[in-house]
Amino acid sequence: MNVLKQKIAVLLLAALLLTCLCGCGGETPAGDNSDAAVTVTDMMGREVTLDEPATKIVALTASVCEILYALDAGDTLVGRGEYCNYPAEVLEVTSVQSGYDTNIEQIIALQPQVLLMADMAQDDAQIAQLEAAGIKVVVCDAQNIAEVYDSIKLIGELVGKQDKASAVVADMQATFDEVAQNAADNSDKTVYFEVSPLQYGLWTAGADTFMNEICAMLGAKNCFDDVSGWAEISEEQVLQRNPDYIVTITMYFGDGPTPQEEILSRAGWQNVTAVKNGAILSLQNDELSRPAPRLAEGARLLHDFLLGAE
Amino acid sequence: MNKRLDKVRWWEYLGFGGVFMAVLCLCVCVGSVNIPLSETVTVISNALLRQPQPEGLAPAIILTVRLPRVLCVALTGAALSLAGAAMQGLLKNPLADGSTLGVSSGAALGAVIAIAFGLNFSAVPFAGTMIMAILFALGSLLIILGLAYKLDYSLATNTIILIGVIYSMFVSSAMSVIVTFAADKVQQITFWTMGSLQGSSYENAAVLAAVLLVCGGVLLASAQELNAFAVGEDNARHIGVNVRRTKLVVLITVSVLIGVCVSIGGTIAFVGLVTPHMVRMIVGPNHRRLLPSSLFGGAVFLLLADLVARILLNPQELPIGVVTSLVGAVVFVFIFYNTRKGQ
Repeated sequence: MNVLKQKIAVLLLAALLLTCLCGCGGETPAGDNSDAAVTVTDMMGREVTLDEPATKIVALTASVCEILYALDAGDTLVGRGEYCNYPAEVLEVTSVQSGYDTNIEQIIALQPQVLLMADMAQDDAQIAQLEAAGIKVVVCDAQNIAEVYDSIKLIGELVGKQDKASAVVADMQATFDEVAQNAADNSDKTVYFEVSPLQYGLWTAGADTFMNEICAMLGAKNCFDDVSGWAEISEEQVLQRNPDYIVTITMYFGDGPTPQEEILSRAGWQNVTAVKNGAILSLQNDELSRPAPRLAEGARLLHDFLLGAE
Repeated sequence: MNKRLDKVRWWEYLGFGGVFMAVLCLCVCVGSVNIPLSETVTVISNALLRQPQPEGLAPAIILTVRLPRVLCVALTGAALSLAGAAMQGLLKNPLADGSTLGVSSGAALGAVIAIAFGLNFSAVPFAGTMIMAILFALGSLLIILGLAYKLDYSLATNTIILIGVIYSMFVSSAMSVIVTFAADKVQQITFWTMGSLQGSSYENAAVLAAVLLVCGGVLLASAQELNAFAVGEDNARHIGVNVRRTKLVVLITVSVLIGVCVSIGGTIAFVGLVTPHMVRMIVGPNHRRLLPSSLFGGAVFLLLADLVARILLNPQELPIGVVTSLVGAVVFVFIFYNTRKGQ
């Protein structure tokens, strides 16, 4: 029973991480005419052709929903994955079960033209079922900022908003360029990213995460860039690596100590530089964990935090 | 039965205690961050003598991270193993364990509900999780026993195990439902379910120690009755054991132990199942020897498992349940195979 539970927990976690980390990416062949057929190549290298830009979309990942709203195409959403929560309007869209137990029946009932999803638990049989029901499946999975740009452009193609997509990408690039200018000021700073609080075991974001990429862009060093992806790490190591700054994305639900207070109150942490200086940033809205346009906002928050919290 | 093997002899206690202390010291001295032995000894002796601590990382790591965790791990291992040994004797079933009874799952459900609905009592962080886990462990026990009474007044072993397994499944589904409703808390729930003894505090260790003292005392005092059960429930009844009362006392004690352990460290698989078997191979099946020895066996087993979890992938940590399940499953198959082959 417990072994099974452990397995389920691992799968759940995997699904969760994918939900958080995966988005949409891929090649975007030319095709600026929004009246004509749209052909895109998704992240799995599959070519998908639509007769016209999509007007009914089901998106399973939170990042895709964010991108659609950023492109002013939120009205194309007829269904969303259950964990999509930004912007607030998206909560009014019908929710479907996503991830490990993606509910194919629910998706077919919504009759979308396109299903946007990340490469996770869906197997070939499920994709075949969807295609048989006339739903085009676009698989996508942005792992770094360059792929986020690709995914925004890809979704722009799908909904016929290429210009808006280019503008969003240019906006992001401009923000990143701006915050990267001060990189030299951060060169000796170390940052520890906390994903779950001590009580549940410390999880951090290592190499190959957006937090790590943006941290490097800002010139600072992620304390745990020697581990890959999201990983449970040892509390002793955090104390030894003695980060100058702590960024926590632990959710705060309004009662008990806030994430900052909880970190400040930890026994044995009082000599950690970040705790001594109170240099703890709590990000509550997934700004640094989702492959979506808000990464730029997250980068700016981190930039201001690193330069302002001294 | 050999008269002399009726209880643990003093030199055996000395031996078990020695092994336990050795492993305990090893676990305090070895960890993710390498601290020289001499410094470790200095820090601990300074702490004991109330001397000022040296500068540097060592005091924080040894005294606030490693020592409380190692204590919690040892106490959890001892408690789970004792609970498993008592359950196996009572139910005369080698597969009996907190999870078979449904108490672990019940406790986990309580904790998940506390997380999902943000139940927090007072300003103490995570107190809600602990109280709910204990309440649900007891509640689960009442449901399981209540059902068992309705079906079968004598509380037959098979009935309890069957209801326990079904109850565990029911609880798993209930947890999935809660996860669906509290989608925004799925992250916390997932991390919690993985089980972790990171962040253990001296308060946790004190709670565990107090509970183990009381419940362990009750269970050890029931060793003779458990011996009678091991021969058979009818036998126990015939030689004058109050069968129902003994069952109730043991079951309630075990669920308190498990509820507290789950609330502090999450569900840790296989400890209660496997260590009593290993210990039985060393000291034999007499519960007056088995129960006290299981305390040491469980503590040593979980300490070593936790050590592996802490240092194997340094700087990363493995969830402790993964280690106990891996080691436990292999050891279990080995024991099972050998026992069957011998027959």
